[in-house]
Amino acid sequence: MEGTLWYVLTGTRGGRNRIRILQAIDERPRNAHQLADDLDLDYKTVRHHLDVLLDNDIVDKSGDDYGAVYLPTDRVRANWGTVQEIFERVE
Amino acid sequence: MSLWLDAASAAATLNVVLLVALVGIWARNYLEFRSKHPLGLLVFGLLLLAENCLSVYYYVIDPEVANLLRSAAPVAGRAMTFVQILELAAILFLAWVTWD
Repeated sequence: MEGTLWYVLTGTRGGRNRIRILQAIDERPRNAHQLADDLDLDYKTVRHHLDVLLDNDIVDKSGDDYGAVYLPTDRVRANWGTVQEIFERVE
Repeated sequence: MSLWLDAASAAATLNVVLLVALVGIWARNYLEFRSKHPLGLLVFGLLLLAENCLSVYYYVIDPEVANLLRSAAPVAGRAMTFVQILELAAILFLAWVTWD
């Protein structure tokens, strides 16, 4: 999981925005629309990043497709030290 | 110019273009995160880029060496082209997962 987090959040082009999404849903679970508004990102961009995070078991979604709310998975919670180390590297 | 040499030239050139883009992403991420993951990718990318710049030099810019190798040992020439194409496939996959 640690390697996945480092790769998905710091090794790819969209890593920076995925970190912002993870920070936002850690603070409070949100749906894709709220994330797009709150982070000032394109809705489609947010959907794409959420799909990548879902694929890698970093976020879970609860609720139906359209209004589904996203939150960090238990697996990520168990590795929260790594996530914080990554967060700290972004000012 | 043989078909083999054309294929090797095209593959080496594409490799350089893709690696420049990838190294750009990894360098930006390294500068931002200062962590070993993007650093590892960056160093790997730079070394592979150096290798491919060398290939572009002797396939495209000054194909004298490549032609010499091919006329002296055609099998070796084909093998080198094949390696170049395998490398292209590898870099394309890496670009696909990194561009995300």
